[in-house]
Amino acid sequence: MKANTKVATRTRRIAAAAMASALVLGLAACNSDDKAPGAAGDDKVNITFAWWGSDTRHEVTQKVIAEFEKKHPNIKVTPDYTSWDSYFEKLNVAAAGGNLPDVITQEERFLTEYATRDLLLDLKGLGLDTSKIDSTILDSGSIDGKLYGVATGINVHGVVIDPEIFKEVGVEIPDDTKWTWDDYVATANEISEKSDGKYYGVQNYSFNEVTLKILARQKGEEVFTKDGKIGVSEATVTEWFQRSVDLLGKGSPDASVSTEVQGAGVEGSLPASGKGAMAWFWSNQLPAISKAAGRPVQILRAPGESQFQRGGQFFKPSMFYSASAKTKHPEEAKLFIDFLINSEEAGKLILTDRGLPGNTDVRASVLPLLSEADTVGAEFVSGLEGDIVDGTPVPPVGSGKATEITGRVNSDVLFGNITPADGAKRWIEEMNAAIS
Amino acid sequence: MSALGELRALSRKRGGTTPKTTTNLRKADGRAALVFLGPWFVGLFAITLFPLVASLYLSMTDYNLLQAPNFIGLENFIDMLSDPRLHKSLQVTAIYTVVGVPLQLSVALGLAILLNRGMRGMSLYRSIFYLPSLMGGSVAIAILWRQVFGKEGIFNAFLGLFGIEGMGWISHPDTALWTIILLHVWTFGSPMIIFLAGLRQIPDMYYEAASLDGASKRRQFFSVTLPLLSPIIFFNVVMQVIGSFQAFTQAYVVSGGTGGPSDSTLFYTLYLYQEGFKNLNMGYASAMAWVLVLIILALTALNFWVSKFWVFYED
Repeated sequence: MKANTKVATRTRRIAAAAMASALVLGLAACNSDDKAPGAAGDDKVNITFAWWGSDTRHEVTQKVIAEFEKKHPNIKVTPDYTSWDSYFEKLNVAAAGGNLPDVITQEERFLTEYATRDLLLDLKGLGLDTSKIDSTILDSGSIDGKLYGVATGINVHGVVIDPEIFKEVGVEIPDDTKWTWDDYVATANEISEKSDGKYYGVQNYSFNEVTLKILARQKGEEVFTKDGKIGVSEATVTEWFQRSVDLLGKGSPDASVSTEVQGAGVEGSLPASGKGAMAWFWSNQLPAISKAAGRPVQILRAPGESQFQRGGQFFKPSMFYSASAKTKHPEEAKLFIDFLINSEEAGKLILTDRGLPGNTDVRASVLPLLSEADTVGAEFVSGLEGDIVDGTPVPPVGSGKATEITGRVNSDVLFGNITPADGAKRWIEEMNAAIS
Repeated sequence: MSALGELRALSRKRGGTTPKTTTNLRKADGRAALVFLGPWFVGLFAITLFPLVASLYLSMTDYNLLQAPNFIGLENFIDMLSDPRLHKSLQVTAIYTVVGVPLQLSVALGLAILLNRGMRGMSLYRSIFYLPSLMGGSVAIAILWRQVFGKEGIFNAFLGLFGIEGMGWISHPDTALWTIILLHVWTFGSPMIIFLAGLRQIPDMYYEAASLDGASKRRQFFSVTLPLLSPIIFFNVVMQVIGSFQAFTQAYVVSGGTGGPSDSTLFYTLYLYQEGFKNLNMGYASAMAWVLVLIILALTALNFWVSKFWVFYED
């Protein structure tokens, strides 16, 4: 009996010790989030910076953070990054838990969502210096007079082409100041035909709504209007879907391959994989495409720019830097955002990865450092300066669902489950429901 | 709950053997037990029960993750009646279950019978056949699947040997779901192991008696193996049906989280996830989760009821 108790006591002691050490370890693990263990002192401020992107961007951003920490030894910036696909899921959950990162990379369609729900700080009120930021894009981050996000840079959507394929097949590269949508279809078909199926002409454009925005603006409409409504007509959406269907199996791959190519991202796109001549992308995606393709690519203006009464292309703020409304360190967050947008050190590392820099001084100092592919994109954007009519209004709350809805309706249209006209009707219906 | 029951049984037993002298010791043991159970209790309340109750409440709100929820009664449940994507997701999940479960269990049973023959190196084979189950649920395999059944994947290269030109199996609405069902069938390992254990339990004397009576192997299978194995089959069916309705990872990775093409791989859980975390309709997603619980409950009850007609218990 006695021996039994003794054993029991000993076991209990060992167990208690084990549990205690487990608890201590657990607590220690929790603690390391707040402070780097054994760091220079207790006065070190820790802020978290969240962004999405590719591996290249992650590497570059880590370098930027290192530069910032060198300049401000009392601030530690904890990186928090993921791919685009899961970024907002992660951010939404963080917002629900009330622990948003201090500095957040935002996107146009979600900025309003977050701003109108009081999750972001007014950067102007915080005293952020925006005097050097291109005025055409500064407004894109302000809602009701408050600056909830400062644009990192600008992009333009255009048709990325592989000139090698044009040359090999013997098709002339169209004059992009004049080409119409019919020219666009004809060029794509010609490439597929002349190469005997070796190359596709163009990648399907209607898995997201960007080209629809351009087409709508050319016709004097706007996908998201100033007062937060859907302003594009059913006829325009029908025409847009119809063009996709007309190209299927001719200038474009069939529905199934189109879906597959779409799923393969930038690096798996037609021009990046050498399988096709044209695809729509943002100007800052040129380096990634040309790197994957292993040869230089070019970018053309959207077709139809001179076909209607006005042009439809627009400067898009590539992304925004915002500060969480709940940050405990607004001053440090501001310092970091200021470093990201206004310093040449950061600019020289980031280059045009987050769009052609919005800070005009930084832009000037970055231009000579650009690689060939970057230069092509930068020159394309600056060449459009005089020709772009106006910006697009800030998209309303709920517009973040646009990509998902567009992709889904497009899929049904491509596989012939519904006609382009029905697709247009459903697209408008679902979009109206999403933003209401 | 079961841990509590065990604890009670244990203390009763102890009390029975040495009734009076150990009262103090029993108290001390009880306290120690509580300390040891502590982490489990914390887990039960914080990680299981609290979210369960919270999601029941949220299912009756318009919670959008970013703002405080407002109570809206049964509106979410009523909306579900007229949501075409929800109906599509139920259809997809039902096909996956109705086709996938019998197929997977047949493969598992067939291999279990083969492995039960006691050949040399059986444990090696067993491990090899179990391997897909360890990997099948992983993201890596789902990504691999995309490559295998892509337009330029291995599967089409194989078809090409016979002069057949394949298609993008993953990216066509008519075939995408089938590639995921195939992936599910391929992970037959755990039901196979359970079948194998069940087969071992069947006494040899039945087979001896049957063969003395001149029953063929085939007859032995249907008249001896199947009836005696039916409780095991039943267990596997119940578990796999529940598992099928909760399938998520493969569908998410294979379709890149979209449930596409054309919603052909929009599993119920995937749609729930999209609504909750992408479209910010967490209230609606919570309601969907509770409906899923009810569906699984109903199917399991149905399974138990049907089992009366085909499951045979020896004793």
